[in-house]
Amino acid sequence: MSAGRQEPHAGKQGPAKDTTMAIEAAKAMPTAIPEPVSSDPAYLKIRDLIYRMSGIYQPEEKLYLLVSRSARRMSVVGAKTASEYLEHLTLRGNRDAELRLLLNEITIGETYMFRSPPHLEALRNVILPQIVQAKSAMGFKRLRFWNAGCSTGEEPYTLAMFLLEESEKLLAGWSFDILATDLNDNSLEAAKAGIYGEYALRNTSELLRRKYFKVHDEKRLQVTDQLKSQIRFDRVNLSDDSKMVFLKGMDVIFCCNVLIYFDLASKRRVVQHFYSNLLPNGYLFLGHAESLFQVDDTFRLVHFPGATAYCKALAGAAGGGKK
Amino acid sequence: MTAQKLEKLQEQVKKLDSISTAPVILQPLLEILRMPAEKISFDKVVELVSYDGAIAAQCLRMANSPLFGCREVETVRAAVMALGLQRVRSMLFGLCINRVIPKDKWVFEPVAFWRHSLGCALVTQRMAQRIGYAEPEKAYLGGLLHDLGILVNSLLCTKDFRKCLQSATEQRRALHLCEEEILGFTHCESGKMLAEHWGLPRDLSDVAYGHHNVELLPAPQPLVCLVHLGDLLCRVRYLGYGYDEIMGMELGGELAWQTLAKTHPALADMDLARFTMDIDGAMEQIVATVDAVFGTAQSAASK
Repeated sequence: MSAGRQEPHAGKQGPAKDTTMAIEAAKAMPTAIPEPVSSDPAYLKIRDLIYRMSGIYQPEEKLYLLVSRSARRMSVVGAKTASEYLEHLTLRGNRDAELRLLLNEITIGETYMFRSPPHLEALRNVILPQIVQAKSAMGFKRLRFWNAGCSTGEEPYTLAMFLLEESEKLLAGWSFDILATDLNDNSLEAAKAGIYGEYALRNTSELLRRKYFKVHDEKRLQVTDQLKSQIRFDRVNLSDDSKMVFLKGMDVIFCCNVLIYFDLASKRRVVQHFYSNLLPNGYLFLGHAESLFQVDDTFRLVHFPGATAYCKALAGAAGGGKK
Repeated sequence: MTAQKLEKLQEQVKKLDSISTAPVILQPLLEILRMPAEKISFDKVVELVSYDGAIAAQCLRMANSPLFGCREVETVRAAVMALGLQRVRSMLFGLCINRVIPKDKWVFEPVAFWRHSLGCALVTQRMAQRIGYAEPEKAYLGGLLHDLGILVNSLLCTKDFRKCLQSATEQRRALHLCEEEILGFTHCESGKMLAEHWGLPRDLSDVAYGHHNVELLPAPQPLVCLVHLGDLLCRVRYLGYGYDEIMGMELGGELAWQTLAKTHPALADMDLARFTMDIDGAMEQIVATVDAVFGTAQSAASK
């Protein structure tokens, strides 16, 4: 693959004859590269503040999302620039409330069914085979899942559909429990009713819609009783230590975009509970933009294709795919 | 791998000179790749770019793209300046290699190969900068060149290498494990041979050799460890070899991580979750950049 025999005479060789034409052609060519977002550096400070306070992170290339979400709050509070809005978030008396309102904007519309296929792929390809193997060796045939902060039910119903679909394959002969909890009674009522419109169902295939839903009205579907029966809904305050200590024996916990509203001390306490709630080699999934950095160092961060999760495992013990 | 197979492969790598039709700028380009970044002559790079019409056109196209914020670059010199020597160097290398390997010998989709190589270069460099590694430029080159062996295997054992890729794709396993089974050697071994044959610095041939298993080297080196981690991170962020691997790994449990942490304490404090999200954020641009250079340019470059 060496080109020694064909080396150009460096210094003597001029540009190729077709260069000018090629240059002209190149200038006319369209480009696939997206427009970069130019933004006020104050948005980076807002981004870092949000990360520090809530653990939710926006990479620089996705800062436009933060810019558009902040815009709504900025117009409400009358902030004309990002720097001015940063003051509202840091210096003004109602800064905590404002941060919470901004977080609401950032996580708004986050919930719909099958929102995170990489999480399910990680479960199917690595986590469940690992857990099934370990539990089988001990003679167990039951799995326990907990959706902490289930909101209006999209996530636990997704998990239930996924597990039912796997019941004939990977989980043949196994049974499972899904506990779905939330603090908000209205959300829990909506979750129990299980009535969803097109937005919530936009990632749900026709096949699954036919299998696990019935028509509720012109625009909405309702989950079948069979699907509902897979889930136990309950009101749980994650800060309620007396209740948290009893939720033992979990294989996998999902807690997406919930911890972001807790202060650091409360967050640490909840995460320590999760650690105790999980069985060894159990996994904790957070929202795709959330991190436990500086919150907890007992969990191990594990990478899966397109997803990360936290494992209750000894160093080097996590992971299933050969590298 | 048996000594006999090793010897045979070595002979074949040496003969690559006579079976391939390398572009004329490859040899002077290799000289540039061998040099430390600070010694690269700007004029020499401009000359190399100018020598080839299609490459010059790509350079201008990139420099004029919004990604670099320049829209009125009209000369090759200005384009090289706008893009930076590092970017131009990897673009030159990529376009050269695209011509070295005839279309029918590519086992990977060239765009998938370059997405992974360039992705690995950028991720490894970012990580190097994040932990205070002394030569981030070297980390970039290590990432760019770590999979040289894939080029060798594509050229020398096209048919069997296709089987390796097919098997890896079907089983969703790492490619090098299938290479071991089918070829009896991996792209790590053949990559080392090509790096040595091209006279690339020792640390880069070590990267080619040890990037899947840092233990293959007598003493684990920071550069190899960095590229190992960069490669893994790319593969779990959809910048792999163009197929879906089943992976689940704890980077902190990797020998490469632990070795690197001894010489670079900043690694222990690194926010890996945030770094991963940064990679996710940069991925669109990496993909767009590679597609802009190697995707639409491929037909012109592989003539």
